[in-house]
Amino acid sequence: MRPGGERAPGRRRLPSGRPWLALQIVLAGSLLLLFVLPLYALFTYASPAQIVAAWHDPVVWQAIDLTFYASGIAVLAAVVGAIPLGYLLARRPFKGRSLVEAVVGLPVVVPHLLVGLGLFLLVIPGSPLYRFTNAIGFPVYDTIWGVVLVMVFVSAPYTVLAADLSFRAIDDRMLEASRSLGAGPATAFLTVSLPLALRGIVAGLLLTWARSVSEIGGILILAYTVYPGGPYSGPVTSTLSVLVYNLFQAGNLAGAAAVSCVFLLVAFALFLLVRIGERVGWLPWQRGELLP
Amino acid sequence: MTRWSVEGLTSRLDRFRLGPVDLALEPGRVVAVLGSSGSGKTTLLRTLAGFVPPGDGRILRDGADITCRAPERRGVGYVPQGLGLFPHRTVERNVMYPLEVRGRVDARAKVRPLLERFDLVRLAPRYPARLSGGERERVALARALAAEPELVLWDEPWQGLDVEARHELGVVLEELRETERIPVVLVTHDPSLAFSSADSFLVLRAGAVAFRGGATELLHRPTDPFVARFVGFENVYDRAALDAAPNGSLGAWLRERAGPDGIAFARPPLAGAPPFAGRWDGTVRSARPSPEGTAVTVLAQGLSIALRLAPPTPGPVPTVGGRIRFDVPEESLRPLGTGGSAA
Repeated sequence: MRPGGERAPGRRRLPSGRPWLALQIVLAGSLLLLFVLPLYALFTYASPAQIVAAWHDPVVWQAIDLTFYASGIAVLAAVVGAIPLGYLLARRPFKGRSLVEAVVGLPVVVPHLLVGLGLFLLVIPGSPLYRFTNAIGFPVYDTIWGVVLVMVFVSAPYTVLAADLSFRAIDDRMLEASRSLGAGPATAFLTVSLPLALRGIVAGLLLTWARSVSEIGGILILAYTVYPGGPYSGPVTSTLSVLVYNLFQAGNLAGAAAVSCVFLLVAFALFLLVRIGERVGWLPWQRGELLP
Repeated sequence: MTRWSVEGLTSRLDRFRLGPVDLALEPGRVVAVLGSSGSGKTTLLRTLAGFVPPGDGRILRDGADITCRAPERRGVGYVPQGLGLFPHRTVERNVMYPLEVRGRVDARAKVRPLLERFDLVRLAPRYPARLSGGERERVALARALAAEPELVLWDEPWQGLDVEARHELGVVLEELRETERIPVVLVTHDPSLAFSSADSFLVLRAGAVAFRGGATELLHRPTDPFVARFVGFENVYDRAALDAAPNGSLGAWLRERAGPDGIAFARPPLAGAPPFAGRWDGTVRSARPSPEGTAVTVLAQGLSIALRLAPPTPGPVPTVGGRIRFDVPEESLRPLGTGGSAA
C-alpha cells in the first residue's frame, strides 16, 4: 500500500463468476457425455478388424449410397417446397396460418411408424394413387421414391421452420427499399430475402439431411427393401438404418456395431467438414453471395 | 424535370386512416412532413411509394396517374427509416443494386461518379455494419440516386446522427436539390433540418392534414401544441392546463386568448434588473446561460413560464427561489387549433 491507503498500480481482478461457469460446464458436460457414450460403446463393441471389414463390404456401401442419394433428393425437395412455404408463413399473413403452422409441425411429433403406415395406406397396391404414381413413373412402394417420400415427410419441417424464422427476421424496410430501387417481387426475393435468410435456411437443410439419413420408422413400412427403379439403378438394397436393424434382428450385434461405426465415421467427417468450412468462412452462404 | 401532384389521397392501414392529402411537388422543392408519432407521416410516404394500398385520390406524375402502379415502376426513391441498406452487400454493391436489378452490365462504371460525389470510394469494399451513421446516410442517398428517381421520399434522414454528420448531410441535400432538381419529401422530427431544407411544410394530425404552407405561416400560426413545440415555442399550454387555472391568474388570462387546442408564445424578454417589472410575478426555478442570453424559468400560479434575459451577460441574473415580475406581450400569443392557414 502506498501512503494514504492508495493501492499500488497493477492489474486488479473483477469477480470471476467461476461457480456459475462451473455449474454450466457440469450441466453441458453431462449432455455431451450422453452424446459420446453410446458412440464409445459402438466403437468398443466392434473390433477394429470388424470395422475394417465393414468398411470394405460392398453391401454396406450400397446402403450408404442409397441413403445419401435418397437423402440428397429429400433435401432438394425441401429446397423446392419448404423454402416457399417458410416464406409464405413468415411474410404473407393469411387466414388459417396457425392451422398451417400446426400441420407443418405435425411430422416432427408423430411417431414415424405412423407416418409410414399412413403413406403405405395412401399408396397401397390397387389404390388410385398407387396406379397414378406407377403410371407417371414414380412408383413408391419398395423404391427409392418411397424412401424419399418418407424422408421428406419427416425432415422437411425443419427447413420450413428454419426458413420461416429466417425470413421473419428480415426487416421489411429493406425489402421496401429494394422494391423502390427497381426490383420486382421475385427479384427482391432472390437478391435480398433469400441471401439474408440463406444461413438459417442452410442450417435447416442440414437438419433436414441429418434427419433424412437417420430415418427408419416410415422406411421400414414403405420401402423396407429398395429395388432398382426411377433414379436408382443400383442393386437391391436397403437404407443404412434398415441394414443395421436387420443385422441387429439377426443377432449379429458386432456386425451391426461395425456398420454403424462406418456410417458414423462418414457422417462425422461430413459434419466436421461443414463446421470447419463455416469457421474458415469459405462457404458461399456465409457471405450471402450464393445469389446475385 | 418531373412535376408531381397528389390529389385527395387517402389510405388505410389496419384501423388508421390517412388523408385526404393534397400536395404539389415542383422540381427542386423540398416538402417537410411534420407531426407527432402516429400521425401518419410514414404511412403517407409508404402510400406515395406504393407500399400501402391507396383509397381515394390520385398520384400524378407529369399528369399521368400512377396511383396504383407497382413500387418499382413509380420512379420514386424511397429511403425508409433505418435506411434499409443491404447488410450482405458492400457499399459499392449497395449503390450498384438499382442498376443490377435493371440488368445494366456497366453498373460498376456507372456508380463510380456517385461514389466519388458522396465521398464513398474509400468505403466501397466495406459492409454497412462497419460504417458510421453519416456514412450510412450517404450510401443510402447515393443508392437512391443510382436508381435515377424522379421523386425522393426520405423518412427521418437525420435520425441518430451527430452534429457534424447532420451538417455534412445538410450540405449534400442542398447540393442535391440544386443540381438534380428532384423534388424531395422529408419526414422529420428535427426543426433545424426542416427549416434549413424545406420550402414548404405539411403537418399531419391523426392522419389528417392540419397545415400546409410555408415556414413563415407555420411560425405565425402553429396549428397544435406539437407543431408549436416543433417550431421552437417554449411556452406551449394545452387547453386542459389552462382550464385548471384560477380566475385572475396568468393561466386565466391566457385561457381567454387561447384557441381550442391551447396557446403558445416565445420566451418573453425580461426588462431591467431583478426583480424586473411587469404585470405578472412568479418564483424563479432556474436561470441558465444560453446562446440567446439567460434562459429563466418561473413558476407563476401553477404555470411554468420560460423567459429570456437578453444579453449582454453576465449581468444581474435572477436568483433561484427569488420572486420576479414579467410581462407576456399580447402580440406574441399564438392561439392553437384555430384551423391553421392553408390546410
